[in-house]
Amino acid sequence: MLRQFPSLLRQLFRHRSTRVTSEGVQFLLFTLAIGIAAINTGNNLFYLLLAMMLSLVLISGIVAEHSLRRLEFHRHLPDHLMVNEPTTATLVAKNRKSQLPSFSLKLFDVSDGREVDRGLEIPQLLPGTSRLVSYSLVATRRGRLQLDGICVGTEFPFGLFMKRTFYQIEDTVIVWPEIKPIDERLLQGLLTAGSEQSVHRRGHGNDLYNLRLYQAGDDSRNIHWPTTARTSQLTVRETEAEEQRRATVYLPTVAPVSHDALFEQAVSVTASIIRHLAHRGYILQLVVGSSRSSFGQGDLHLLELLRMLAVCERHSPHGESAVPGDQPGDLFEVQGGTMIAVQSWRGPWDIEPQHPTIMVDGAVIGGASDAV
Amino acid sequence: MPFDQALRFASIWLASTSFIGLALGAGLPEWLAALTGAALIVAFLRNRGHKSVERLARFSPISPAGWNLLVIVGFLGFWVDMLWVSGELLPAGIHFLMILMIIKLFNLKLRRDYLHLYAISLVAILASGSLTTDLWYLPIFLLYLLAGVWTLLLFQLTKHPEETQVLTMSGTVRSQASASVHLVTPQFFWLANGLAFATFGLTLAIFFTVPRVSAGFYQKGVGENMRTSGFSETVNLGEIGPIKRDPSVVMRVELADGSPNKADGLYLRGVAFDQYDGKAWTNRLGYRRSVNEDGTGAFVLLGNRSAAPARLGETIRQNILLEPLDTPVLFAAPFIERVSGKFPSVQSDLTGSAYLPFPSSSRIEYSVLSRSNPVLPADLSSEPSLYPESFTRHFLQIPVQSERIAILAKEVTHTQRATFDKVHAIQSFLAHNFHYSLDAPLAELNHPLEEFLFSRKTGYCEHYATAMVMMLRTVGIPARLVTGFLATEWNEYGNYYLVRQQDAHAWVEVYLPHSGWITMDPTPPSLESVGSNSPAWHALGRMMDTVRLQWSRFFVQYSAADQLAVVRELKAGGTSARNKALDSMGTLFNPFMAMVGGIKEYVFNGTISSLAEVLGLALIGLAFFLWLGIKRPWAKAMAGKKTTRDQQPIVQLYGRMIGHLARKGISKPASSPPLEFVRLTQERWRDAGSAVGSITELYCRARFGQISPTRAELSLAEGHLRYLMALHKP
Repeated sequence: MLRQFPSLLRQLFRHRSTRVTSEGVQFLLFTLAIGIAAINTGNNLFYLLLAMMLSLVLISGIVAEHSLRRLEFHRHLPDHLMVNEPTTATLVAKNRKSQLPSFSLKLFDVSDGREVDRGLEIPQLLPGTSRLVSYSLVATRRGRLQLDGICVGTEFPFGLFMKRTFYQIEDTVIVWPEIKPIDERLLQGLLTAGSEQSVHRRGHGNDLYNLRLYQAGDDSRNIHWPTTARTSQLTVRETEAEEQRRATVYLPTVAPVSHDALFEQAVSVTASIIRHLAHRGYILQLVVGSSRSSFGQGDLHLLELLRMLAVCERHSPHGESAVPGDQPGDLFEVQGGTMIAVQSWRGPWDIEPQHPTIMVDGAVIGGASDAV
Repeated sequence: MPFDQALRFASIWLASTSFIGLALGAGLPEWLAALTGAALIVAFLRNRGHKSVERLARFSPISPAGWNLLVIVGFLGFWVDMLWVSGELLPAGIHFLMILMIIKLFNLKLRRDYLHLYAISLVAILASGSLTTDLWYLPIFLLYLLAGVWTLLLFQLTKHPEETQVLTMSGTVRSQASASVHLVTPQFFWLANGLAFATFGLTLAIFFTVPRVSAGFYQKGVGENMRTSGFSETVNLGEIGPIKRDPSVVMRVELADGSPNKADGLYLRGVAFDQYDGKAWTNRLGYRRSVNEDGTGAFVLLGNRSAAPARLGETIRQNILLEPLDTPVLFAAPFIERVSGKFPSVQSDLTGSAYLPFPSSSRIEYSVLSRSNPVLPADLSSEPSLYPESFTRHFLQIPVQSERIAILAKEVTHTQRATFDKVHAIQSFLAHNFHYSLDAPLAELNHPLEEFLFSRKTGYCEHYATAMVMMLRTVGIPARLVTGFLATEWNEYGNYYLVRQQDAHAWVEVYLPHSGWITMDPTPPSLESVGSNSPAWHALGRMMDTVRLQWSRFFVQYSAADQLAVVRELKAGGTSARNKALDSMGTLFNPFMAMVGGIKEYVFNGTISSLAEVLGLALIGLAFFLWLGIKRPWAKAMAGKKTTRDQQPIVQLYGRMIGHLARKGISKPASSPPLEFVRLTQERWRDAGSAVGSITELYCRARFGQISPTRAELSLAEGHLRYLMALHKP
């Protein structure tokens, strides 16, 4: 019972609001004028007209209330969104009344307490039926997009008032940072830096390192059958050691308020780099501020890294002499692989940079200023 | 019919209703009425898609700027009309309103134009209400209300049809659905009419409850007062004749006793006259003085206390609804003792007539207590007595040329000795020897009374009454002529006398020394009648008049005093109803209360264990009610019922599938959820797996996800079931 108490309270004090439409304003002005005329003259036929207009106002309220009652909404959202990328969301509206239809329903998404008009309108919802409406959802900020519920409004029956009510359907969606194609120069820089660091050698992995003749003791599962068939000699496939394709991407989160936009840019660049490297098969680790992911590979790992980037927040430096945070270089060296850092703020001397700084293994990448 | 077209029709209907109301109430000039009517017909035909009218409208030589120019010209015309033609604001404003309506009817393009038309219609119906109080306003108002509801409803529903984004699975379904949404279906028809009905009900409730702040005596008059004659200070003989052909209703008289107790009608006294100059009657005692109010707000006319003991007189209580007349006289049965009504003051003259300070310009309602004077036995045998000079100067006055009349009177009465017998003899003589006819042009003659008595012997009430007064006076009996109405038309539907202009009447009041003034009427009953003789038609007329009276009572005349009366009635009724309800409740709950009392006694007299028993039972009962309140099993049952309408097809389909599978040897265990059963089926009958999976998915979506399948999905599922039934199980 106690668990039901809050919902009972919500139901009792469910938000209602009424706004007068432009036609309604004119109607009310006419009503006022007729009321004044009726009082002034004492003419009962004026009172009759006044009563008609007042009853139209009352009927508006009653019918609109019934139109908005006993509706049910279900929202279907994708698991994640990307900043500025339109996504289709669907909404199922159901009229749970047994007799009365609902008319002229206008639906508003309520997000962070604000009503967002997405142009959703259901002209008629018969009793016991449901209707599916879809709309384009565009998130403009990364992070958690909180959708509080649906605000339903109707001007039915006479268009004099817009009566609204709120139906709570809480949904939370993670909004990834914007991912843009990586600029060619940055790409070259990343590849060059990576190749300087890495020494190709045999080992366990997926990428092809070499083809050689079969020797006794070789694992028969490594036989490369197409080449064997073509050369009529048993040939085995050697793979490149995987640790040579490791990368750690570091995004410092310390930046002053003035660098907020730059920080968002840095997050977007980091996300773009991560996705690019993930698609190239890199084993990736992401360090965002003080939080760090494990090394990993594959789509699930990529989703996890993007989620970290989606929810990360900028922290203001504590003092004037503050630096962007500890470089976790030692750890990287121990674990090997390339270290890529994307910095939005390099220290108090970094006055007004235009772009985040990208460093690969400590060296600033040329052309990184307009990387993405 | 599509909403757009219906909206156009409803708008024209709204405008037509207000136009008819205005035309009936204001008496529009013929040319303007014809022009507005033509504009409405053209608008109607255009909306019906009449090709020739449409073509004509398309090649209209007037551009939008031209229409605007016409509005300006119309406005200038309004000033000209107000200053020089009509000379008043209201008629000129109404004419301008009609011009605006015509212009707007030819320009109904944008939604804004429709709003303008609605505003014009509203002002028109308002103007109509200010110009009439007649019953025809009621049907016009009802039509306007109905049209208004339809118009507003359709105007709202056609607001944003292009912005609608309703997505359904199949294109066909989508087009059908959206088309049906914007069509006037039978359901929509009943919805609109139901809303109109509800609005009307609420209108009545608000109308009767909204406080009447302005509760003045005289409402603003509507049009001219009804012209009548015979009630001024001087009345020419024969003046009443012309109005005796007028069937207009003058007043309605309700009797407190409920029904008339006299077959010969009810005399409603107006004015009495004392002086006759041979051609005209004059009231020389017409000096009016204000009448004092008593503690109850009634005006008491002391001068009408008769010489006879009051207890002998017959009292008549009347409630009179008087139409606006051009006379301030308050009519009532003779003789008025008390008058009460919403009057600032009441005046009376020395003949006992009652007056308002000035003629009322609206219908008024008042109550009167009258008391007639019976003829006392003392007067049945007494001879004419001597009267003071002041009395004889007024009521024994005879014009100089009355010798022949005096001789006739003596001839008629020479055998009678008692005063009353003489009076009766003269009355009888006139009633039996003269012919009643309204076609008696005696007024133009020099000696109309002599002409009536000795030559033509044909006349109507005035002639009879004048002749009797003159004859009585010549034999020394004081008498006076009285004009008023003789109410004979009893309305059995409304229980009141309906008094028309044609009921105007003149009769005689004779003064008897002991009894006072008594009413005598020498006029024989008229055989002439005005209007149709059909009883059915008369009955219908009376029925309509009852409706008209109720309209007037409850709508036109409804006032703050009526509201107070209703509140008092409700209060009194409420108290009595509450008492009755309490009595009934007491009777109903007496056994229960006795049982509770018994338990209480048992507890107080019993041991701890008995107390625990009672408390335990009470707690169990409380818990049961709490459980009911929280779980609300009825709500679940209702919810289950409600979900079936939309989900019924797929639920039935799923049931048929389960039944078919059971017949094939794959029964669904009760413990197995639907998806689990799909897996089970796939294991045991691989070919059926996909069909069963599809149907189950739709079923689960509808049943647990509250997403109803579309028509396309349903037809697909039916296809799957057909496939399943055709499939051979190995």
